[in-house]
Amino acid sequence: MNVLTDVTATDVTAEVLPAVVIALVQVVVFVALAPVLVGLIRQVRARIEGRRGAGVLQPWRDLRKLLAKNPVRAADSGWMLTAGPLALVVSSLVLVVLLPLVGTISVAALPSDLFVIVSVMLIGVVALALVGLDAGTAFGGMGSSRHMTVAALVEPTLLLSVYALSIPAGTSTLSRIVGSRLDDPGIIISPVSLLALVALIIAIMAETGRLPVDNPGTHLELTMLHEAMTLEASGRDLAWLEVGGWLKLAALLGLVANLAAPWGVATEFTVLGVLVGVGAIVVKVLLLGVLLSVGEVFLAKVRLFQVPELLAGSFALAFLAVTASYLVA
Amino acid sequence: MFDSIYAQLVGLCTGALLLTSALMVWRHSLLASIRLLGAQGVALAALVAVIGVQEQEAELLLVALLIVTVKGVGLPWVLAHQSKADVRHIQESPRLNPTAGLLVVTLLTILSYVVVSQLVGLGGSVTSHAVPIGLAMVLIGFLLLITRRRARSQLIGFLLLDNGIATVAFLTSGGVPLLVEFAVSLDVLLVVLILHVFAGRMRTKFGGTDVDLLRELHD
Amino acid sequence: MSAIDAGLIQAGLGLQLLLAVVAVAAALLVSPARRSLTVGVISAALAATGLATGIAALLGAPGSLSLDTVLPMDALTLSPDRLGGLFMAVVSAVGLIVCLFGMSSARGPAASRTAWAAMPVFLVGMQLVPAAADSVSFLLAWEIMTLGSTVLLLADHATRASVSSAGIWYSAMSQLSFFFILAGFAVLAAATGGTSFSAAGSLEPGSAAANLAFVLFILGFGGKAELVPLHVWVPRVLPEAPSHVSAAMSGAMVKIGVYGALLVCVRLLPEAPAWWGIVIMVLGGVSALYGILQASVASDLKVLLAYSTTENMGLIFLGLGASMLLRTSGATGAADAALVAAILLAVSHAAFKATLFLGAGAIIHSTGERNLDRLGGLGRRMPFTAAAFGIGAMGAAALPITSGFVAEWMLLQSLVNGGRLQGDASVAASVAMPLAVAVIALTAGLALLTFVKAYGIAFLARPRSAPASEARDVPGLMRLALGLGALTVLTLGLVPGPIAQAVAAAVPDGSGTVQVVGLAGVGVPGINAVLDPLLLTVLAAVVGIPVLVAMLVSARRHPARISELPWGGGGSRARPRMQYTATSYAEPLVRVFDDVLKPTRDVQVTHAGESRYLVERVTVQQSVSDVFETRFYRPVLQLVQRFGIAVRQIANGSIHRYLTYSFVAFLIVLIAVSL
Repeated sequence: MNVLTDVTATDVTAEVLPAVVIALVQVVVFVALAPVLVGLIRQVRARIEGRRGAGVLQPWRDLRKLLAKNPVRAADSGWMLTAGPLALVVSSLVLVVLLPLVGTISVAALPSDLFVIVSVMLIGVVALALVGLDAGTAFGGMGSSRHMTVAALVEPTLLLSVYALSIPAGTSTLSRIVGSRLDDPGIIISPVSLLALVALIIAIMAETGRLPVDNPGTHLELTMLHEAMTLEASGRDLAWLEVGGWLKLAALLGLVANLAAPWGVATEFTVLGVLVGVGAIVVKVLLLGVLLSVGEVFLAKVRLFQVPELLAGSFALAFLAVTASYLVA
Repeated sequence: MFDSIYAQLVGLCTGALLLTSALMVWRHSLLASIRLLGAQGVALAALVAVIGVQEQEAELLLVALLIVTVKGVGLPWVLAHQSKADVRHIQESPRLNPTAGLLVVTLLTILSYVVVSQLVGLGGSVTSHAVPIGLAMVLIGFLLLITRRRARSQLIGFLLLDNGIATVAFLTSGGVPLLVEFAVSLDVLLVVLILHVFAGRMRTKFGGTDVDLLRELHD
Repeated sequence: MSAIDAGLIQAGLGLQLLLAVVAVAAALLVSPARRSLTVGVISAALAATGLATGIAALLGAPGSLSLDTVLPMDALTLSPDRLGGLFMAVVSAVGLIVCLFGMSSARGPAASRTAWAAMPVFLVGMQLVPAAADSVSFLLAWEIMTLGSTVLLLADHATRASVSSAGIWYSAMSQLSFFFILAGFAVLAAATGGTSFSAAGSLEPGSAAANLAFVLFILGFGGKAELVPLHVWVPRVLPEAPSHVSAAMSGAMVKIGVYGALLVCVRLLPEAPAWWGIVIMVLGGVSALYGILQASVASDLKVLLAYSTTENMGLIFLGLGASMLLRTSGATGAADAALVAAILLAVSHAAFKATLFLGAGAIIHSTGERNLDRLGGLGRRMPFTAAAFGIGAMGAAALPITSGFVAEWMLLQSLVNGGRLQGDASVAASVAMPLAVAVIALTAGLALLTFVKAYGIAFLARPRSAPASEARDVPGLMRLALGLGALTVLTLGLVPGPIAQAVAAAVPDGSGTVQVVGLAGVGVPGINAVLDPLLLTVLAAVVGIPVLVAMLVSARRHPARISELPWGGGGSRARPRMQYTATSYAEPLVRVFDDVLKPTRDVQVTHAGESRYLVERVTVQQSVSDVFETRFYRPVLQLVQRFGIAVRQIANGSIHRYLTYSFVAFLIVLIAVSL
């Protein structure tokens, strides 16, 4: 299991090739899947609320429309409005490459290390916050400020919950954690794992701007977090920002899915294994999307100043999970 | 077969006990606290039942049944019964804000873990590993007693404390004798009823059960 | 070979002393017109010599310089070991870019004869503290450093009252630190019978003398390293000093405090009991959280940077304490990694904080403003400063491909791994590690907010004041200094392997802790972790290039339309005052941490005419003060003052009364002797 000996292995191509293929497959699948996922979430919500909905493929149509438009930019906005969307999309794509979604095979020198993944995600968070500040409007700044406050308070939960999951596996590499849960499914229903998963899910909801922290379908500026930052973006700037956000949501849901139900993940590199992996992750992510949508129908957005309470609660859960893992283990 | 999942089940039950205790600190509304108390009673009963199956003692299963009826259904029903619409509106404004409260809960849990492991050692058996959770419940119960303003919310803290003591008892000695448990449960029920009646009287007479305000009765 | 090396170190140390004397002489003699340039160049040479000597010592070159004194004691010995060499190199590197910047930026009182004479004194003091091999030369170099920095700080005292106040705080706290360190060395010397550091190893671990010395040293060095609650001088001193001096103080001098703590915990008293580690962890954790909280709500750019220094020092001490605690519970691999991480954090903090303070200096140079609420839009007007400051801010926020990320990653990995101890793990370690991870995570999150605020409010959006809208980028030398700093931050972040390996070799038995893996990445076999930032960058480039190409293609097809008035929140966006400011940016955080920060709010509503409902204007004032200052130092100071007033009654200047005191004392002595 020593990482370092793997790195110096002589047969590099045999080791690297499967990882590269898996990474490529993950990118292709998730780029195609992310807009569909968002479309599905909106569609399910619309149906439950008694509306007809715009159809599952509407996000794809939106993207095509936005990309074909001339963006309008504020006179005072600088390079950040160009670089920010790029940084966000790249950070989400790196996330998709690194996370164990279709398979748990990765290059040994580039493991799906928890802290690396969180930091890569934070690059996207920072890029979005700076885009919000760039145009110099009141709403952009407000969204950016709230977004960063939430991000700052989420981070302890995010790290601690995965830390709790990592204790039985003995490593902070996510692909190994998923692999060890696949080998020993009994771990999944242990209280440590359940507490940590609940905490992780709350953290991810906050991080991706879903209810009850942020309302993705809001039309009221004062209730916006994420939307307020992208108010000034238009055309392709907006399109890329949206793609980045959707990719992040899809990737993180994929991670939750694989932690909660790791079955189907490709642990060895065969054509069949990869195909099964693709099928499994698509089904799992879409299923989670439906669950998320149904859950959101019954939730109301909490007041901004009650969000810290929610996050403290999730932090307490994560912390109890870590200490409990010493108690029960 | 049962041995292999025994540890997981004990862990699950104690985890649920701890979770419900933490949630009681989190939620402000009295109704939610009462429901959580009911859930906690069920979790406690499940714990007793699991231990009973493992130790193969029919008496413990009886105790479990008793706990379900008294702590899982009876007490919450009594607490929530009186003018349910009234209970629904009670929002506690605790002296400690919930965020700080939750952090204190985590610290109390660590403390009980440290204390138990230092004082008696965690031992090898599955149940003794879970003892700190019982102690943590007692401490959290105390916390609720200290920080809640209303008499009825304090009652919740008192019951949480009682649950904690019961958990420790079951985990360390495989349970108190049936008769004792029965008597204690009835005792608690009685205390709750009396307090409940008192609280109701006070409310009709003074218009509130905020303990801080009751200090004025002193004069 | 070693003979040449030995000569090298000796020559390097001698040359530093010589250059310092020459620089002071030049500052006193050269005409004002050429003073900055001449002294700046000589000081830069002094710093460069220190850098070279430090690197040689870091690579293991032996050598020493003995200075005989007229006093009846052992000769002063300067003999840097590897760790000393590392810190000498770090402070000298900061000194070098500070001199480059100062040559061009120093104006007015900051370029006076006194100020320029103090600069080389400050530098040589800092560079020689890590070289000291006995306590007397250590204390001597320490005092030279403190003296130089105090004079530099006071350069501007004639025109600004806040500077004199800062000077008083600084002197008092420095003397307090010095007193504690002196007492610590005195305890050591009394217990072991010698002033040389090598003699200290004979002290029995766990003895009362060792414990006493440890507490005294931590108080002393913790004060210099800005730990809470000894940090009160920081938010006053660092903002008031000229920017290049604050860069040197925060980037370099504070590291000497870290070096002192390392010297004590690693070299002088190596076998620490567990509670030492816990004490240091608590101090570090509290400092990290408190520092970053204050930084995140500060709207003065330099106050923000000053408090962020407290945060970083807190993280370093957290790592050091964790390393000590883990060592006592037998997790050697994780302990070594935590120690290396702490030192890496110190190195990387030197790089990014010096860059950030110099960036703040550049902003002040161009606009005269350091209040973020009055800045904005500088990115278009000062692109070079914006880029350098941005890289520094990324380092401070510990984002990937910067030095800060590598250090924090390693610290977190070692903590997570140390907490995963199985079997006879100590309870303290298994509780402390998750807590430490939580503290670091919250600190990192808040640091992210802090530096997004600092960068976004200062460099993006629209100017909030006239000076900000007329800003121009700084001249060449300042750009060079900024560029060097930013480059160091990136280099340390992109190719951390060799540097981490050198750092690991500098601690005892640490040479195997870190391996270079992949494309100059870091591998830590003891905790089974690997990080390759360059490979990560390649990956980002591979996935980023298609996106970039798509963006460029669509930019050609659909060019952007620039509009004076896009959506803008539905209304006119003509007035820049509608924007969020630094204060409003931190407002949610102030509310969340209301209980810790204890802000004072004052809301004044002016009604229009007679109406109670029509409001003409609402004035809101909110200020966050340092809780430790108002709740701890003020009462103590008041007590001291009251005592002083009481004492004045006893000593009222009357010669008769003094004679009476002497007489009474004489009588008491006589009686005491006769009994």
